[in-house]
Amino acid sequence: MSAALLVQALRQPASVAALDGAGWNALIAAARAERLIGTLALRIGDGPVPEPVRRIWADARREAERETRQALWEADRAAAALADWDGPVVLLKGTAYAAAGLTAGEGRFIGDLDILVPRGAMADVEQRLIAAGWEWVKQDPYDDAYYRQWMHELPPLIHRDRDRMIDVHHTILPLTARQKPDADAMLAAAVPITGKLYILSPEDRVCHAAAHMLADGDLAGGLRNLWDIHCLLADADLRKLDARARRHGIAPHVRQAQRLADALYGTGKARLTLWDRIVLRRLLARDGWGGESRKLLRSAFYIRSHWLRMPPLMLARHLLTKWRKGHRPG
Amino acid sequence: MTRLSRYCRLERDAIAACALDGMTLLYHRASGQTHMVISPVPEILDALDETRPASPADIHRHMSQRYELGDAAEAVALIGAHLAELAGLGLVRGL
Amino acid sequence: MKHHITIGIGPAVFRVGSAWRDPIDRLASLYAAYPVLPGAIADFSVRLEPVSPLRRWLRPSIFITGDHGLAEAAPMSLAHGLLAAEMGMNLQMALGWRRHLLLHASSVEKDGRVLVMTGESGSGKSTLAAQLGERGWRLMGDEFALLDLESGWIFPFPRLVSLKNSAIGVLAADVPEQRMGPLLAGTAKGDIRHLVPRSTAIDRMEAGGQPALLLFPRFGGDADIRPVGQAEVFMRLTQASTNYVALGEAGFRALTRFVQNVPAHAIDFPSGEQAIAMVEQLWAERA
Repeated sequence: MSAALLVQALRQPASVAALDGAGWNALIAAARAERLIGTLALRIGDGPVPEPVRRIWADARREAERETRQALWEADRAAAALADWDGPVVLLKGTAYAAAGLTAGEGRFIGDLDILVPRGAMADVEQRLIAAGWEWVKQDPYDDAYYRQWMHELPPLIHRDRDRMIDVHHTILPLTARQKPDADAMLAAAVPITGKLYILSPEDRVCHAAAHMLADGDLAGGLRNLWDIHCLLADADLRKLDARARRHGIAPHVRQAQRLADALYGTGKARLTLWDRIVLRRLLARDGWGGESRKLLRSAFYIRSHWLRMPPLMLARHLLTKWRKGHRPG
Repeated sequence: MTRLSRYCRLERDAIAACALDGMTLLYHRASGQTHMVISPVPEILDALDETRPASPADIHRHMSQRYELGDAAEAVALIGAHLAELAGLGLVRGL
Repeated sequence: MKHHITIGIGPAVFRVGSAWRDPIDRLASLYAAYPVLPGAIADFSVRLEPVSPLRRWLRPSIFITGDHGLAEAAPMSLAHGLLAAEMGMNLQMALGWRRHLLLHASSVEKDGRVLVMTGESGSGKSTLAAQLGERGWRLMGDEFALLDLESGWIFPFPRLVSLKNSAIGVLAADVPEQRMGPLLAGTAKGDIRHLVPRSTAIDRMEAGGQPALLLFPRFGGDADIRPVGQAEVFMRLTQASTNYVALGEAGFRALTRFVQNVPAHAIDFPSGEQAIAMVEQLWAERA
């Protein structure tokens, strides 16, 4: 299984010395599929690797530099657009890690810009972003209503010149989710990076990453999320983290994320539950070509993830609407 | 687009420029974007200073020593519009 | 994957895997003169997968993916498996190649100097390059030209030439049958037949050359030649490059240098023979 190779290589970079051609191919395909190739290239370095891999690492590093540059520029533009609005721009996820120079940001694929603002400020923020050139992604009225009514963010906005997306969140989980993390407390505890840009406190970063992965997500991209969590845990005070997770009502998720991160990237000493083992199986389901194996298990997680986010009736309505539009899970 | 009153040039190595026939390319390092600009934009950028902020009227005064700019009020307004747009792109610093 | 092959084309190594045997057999036969590298570390993996488990046997339908893929890629019939493999490799180059500035262009070489031709699909650049490749030029590639970021040279990517519709007959007249692939009828782009480049193109697939002339060919209309200004060339080449933005400043430097040093012309031509005459004339006249 190539995902297991990837996890092993991140945990113990020296282990790659034993790889043959097929092993390298499997490792590289899995790292690309999990969007961890930049992280892997930086973690392993050029020392123990054959020449063709060195070239692939150089590509990955260049790509990661570009990701960082673009992400920081988008953050800069958002800060400029919101310059005359009072609040701080609290960066989330990849952009935040890159801007704050955290280990979790090194080589990381970043993608969209995510920011957190108070719910009461959404209209002000939306209006300023639109004045600065962001536009609604064209979508049907059902999707728009769905976002505004049930999700934890504005419908996504894309900048008309730069073609980059911003997600403006007012809480970190959909309003339909059973857990209700305290977004106001997160905003109040956020720490400055530079000028107007802020990042969540070390403990809230872990809470956010864990909530996202286990309460919200279908575990797609889970290996990278857990690598983030593994890196973020190094900066967190574990006792404060526990208290914080309880306050946000996501203590079981945070504890599970800690166990999973430990099992994959840490000491491997944490005691795992049966459910942890199922999640790990799902996370490691990739073949030697980077393709998804265990399709049935993945599909089960897709349905479960929607179940977690939405009460059942709403789930049925959502799946039905998506189905009519030709979307299918998996 | 917000009209700011005064502008500064970016630090020297923020932009790589290349003149092709009739057009100037600006590679902006922080964003990784390439901008294609034509006269009078390169001239306006040249007239800006890194540390001393200048208003559109200041820039107009500076440029009119070297170029024939026609009606002053119109030229100042045009320079102001260009500067606001450049600030939006991040190619000049607005204050 | 059950069936696979690893081949080198120009500077890139591809590992192509397939749920079916046929596409791999066809690749092996058409790429027989290229380096086949079992067990080598590949730059890219390509996967030809069934759209769903059942569709492996029932009306087999191929989903093309790999290290880089497009979720919305349309599935293809197994009869076009060779084309699917080619498209999979092109997709990896277009989305993933970072070692050169990648231009959607054909290129041919003579005396160490390179002629680059770019234009939209249907402009005739691919057919023209294939024809020149049979007439004293070395074919460097019909689809991608690789501009080196340091030296400013063009490097080859001489994959199989993909001939479409009327171009098939034009080349089949010039080329021995054993260098032509099977006819793939009724694809999304019409009829397609692959052409194996001459052995010199494959043997010298690592040898680059200095770019000496850029053409924007356009098939159809009266014969016409006109110079194209640097600003327009720059704009059109950024549109013809899949990785200009991704390469950042290195791409900017390489492309501006190319635009400033390589003379460019647009040529309109009513027939292939006339196009060849115009190219030879411009080549002889170039400064």
